[in-house]
Parts: sequence; C-alpha cells; structure tokens
Amino acid sequence: MIKPLTKHVPDMLLLSTYLDGELESAAHQELADHLTKCPLCASQLAALQSLAADFGNLPQETLGFDLAGVIEGRLAAVRSPQEKKGPARWWRLLPVSIGAAASLAVGIGMGSVLLGGAATMPRVTAMSVFDTLPPGGLCIGPDSCYRNGARK
Amino acid sequence: MDEDENGLASRAQAGDRQAFALLVRRYQDRVFRFILRMNNARDEAMDLTQETFMKAYQALPTWRPDARFGTWLFQIARNAALDVLRRRQLVEFVPLDPGLSGVEAFDPQDGAPLPEEQLSGRQRIALLDRSLHELPIEQREILLLRELENMSYADIAATLNIEAGTVKSRLARARAAVLANFRHHAGENAHD
Repeated sequence: MIKPLTKHVPDMLLLSTYLDGELESAAHQELADHLTKCPLCASQLAALQSLAADFGNLPQETLGFDLAGVIEGRLAAVRSPQEKKGPARWWRLLPVSIGAAASLAVGIGMGSVLLGGAATMPRVTAMSVFDTLPPGGLCIGPDSCYRNGARK
Repeated sequence: MDEDENGLASRAQAGDRQAFALLVRRYQDRVFRFILRMNNARDEAMDLTQETFMKAYQALPTWRPDARFGTWLFQIARNAALDVLRRRQLVEFVPLDPGLSGVEAFDPQDGAPLPEEQLSGRQRIALLDRSLHELPIEQREILLLRELENMSYADIAATLNIEAGTVKSRLARARAAVLANFRHHAGENAHD
C-alpha cells in the first residue's frame, strides 16, 4: 500500500520502485499524479533517471579474447556432466580391485613368514656367510679367533 | 532469447560442449564486467570469469530449466567474486534491516543548480565509477544487477537469494548512497 505523500520529502523507496516500473498500477498512478505537482520529488526522480543513464554509459570492458576456446581446452580434461550423471560402472574397476587384493594378499603372506618361523632363526646362522676370521688371519679379538674350535 | 539460453543450457547439460561454448561466448563479457565492478581488479576478474564458467559447467547437472540460465550463472559469478573479496577481507557488511535510514536524507535546495549538473559527460562517468566502488558490496552488487544487467526484481531476488521486498529497499538505499557519494564528489570537483 502506498503511503500518502503529504510531506514534501522525496520517498526514495517509492521513487526507486517507480523508476523500475515495479510499483503496482494504482500506486504507480498515484505517484505519477504526485510527480506532476511536486517539483522536489520530480527533481529527485530526474536525478535517479540521470544516474541510470550514466550507468549505461560506463565503459563496456571486454575480456578481449574468446574464453570459449580456453574453456573448451580445460573441459577436454574433464568428463562431461552427462557422464558424471550416469550410473557407476563398477566392472571397470574390477582389474584394479583384483590387483589390489592380490598385492594385499602377497604382502600379508610375506609379513607372516617374516614374523613367524623365519624370524625365529638364530641370528648367528643368518650371519654365518661371513667368516669369523678377518682376511690375513689377524685376530680382532680372542672370541673371533677361537670360536671355530681353534682353541681345542 | 531466454528460451534459447535455456535450450542451450539443456543441450550443454546433456553433454553438448558446443552449446556450452555458445553460452560462454554470449555471457563472457557480461560476467567479466560484473566481476570487475565487484572486485575492481582486472587480472583477478579475468581469472574469476574463467572459474565461473568452469564451475557452471561442473554444476550443470544441478541446473533446472525453471531457473533462467543467466540468473543461475550470475549467482555463481557473484559467489566467486564474494569468496575472493572475503579472502581479501574487503567485504563490508551493511545491516540487513530494511529500514531506510539515510534514504530520505536527500534535501535539494529549491532552485539551486545541483553540482552534478555542471559536470561534463566524461566527468560524470568517472565520478559514478568512483562513487560505485565506495559502496558496501551489498549495495554495489544490487545496483550492478539492476542498472547494468537490467534484471527484474524477481531475478535479482533469485540471484542474491533474498526476498523481493528486500530487493526494493536495498536498491533504494543503494541508489540513495551512490547519489550521495556522487554529489559529494561532484561538489568537490566544482570547488577544484
């Protein structure tokens, strides 16, 4: 409902809505009548109209190149929305899943061997590939010289 | 024209990249100008324009034909611009109270020539540009959508996700503010 314009104070809300043609017809007509009698409101409306015209004269900056070509290049790397909307094709992942399961099984098997029987082997046996005597027959200590029965 | 846009958007949604390219060509400068006037940084606006279209393409499955494609696209552009402004901590929030304090403050003196009436066209444009950038972002964006994009109140409401009544009051407040800034600078100019 339009409030009566008894005071000669421009009502920016009404004038702005009037300018945009968004007032209801009765309110629009009421304000149009008022504008013929109120220079203050008419002046304010003229200022708003002038401002609107100036907006239309602001520089029309442009991007300066064909963005569609750039976007097309980037989109080539992504799937189309239609593809994204489609049902998941689980069988496409089957080889990957089988490979992953096999790798996991082998890993678990190797882990259990190391943590099981093989891990309990005597450390000396594991190191027996090295001779206890250093090259040249020099003793580096009594234990290493006589361990293989030399003391007997 | 809107039907064409929505038709193109429907085709793009179905995976037609040529249709999407046509939409990009149709909107690239408008989106660029909107973002540029939002954040006032050309290189950033170029990047954001590109990101807007990439996001739009990725979000196409969520677009519904009952929404105008242009309105939907400007929502994305606006969000992209606001995200950057927030990161730059340049967003000034104005109270959402629809009261119009300050709107009625304009009080021209009878018969006195207004300062802006003495400016040349080029000066007016420069002052408007400056006055616009001094506005809080909420006032600036609504003026851009109305004055540059000629959006209806319903489309502005949809783009900004606000009530139609709020569009009226915010737009009136924004116009009052930009006019006040403009007159202030015009007065400064007149005294130079």
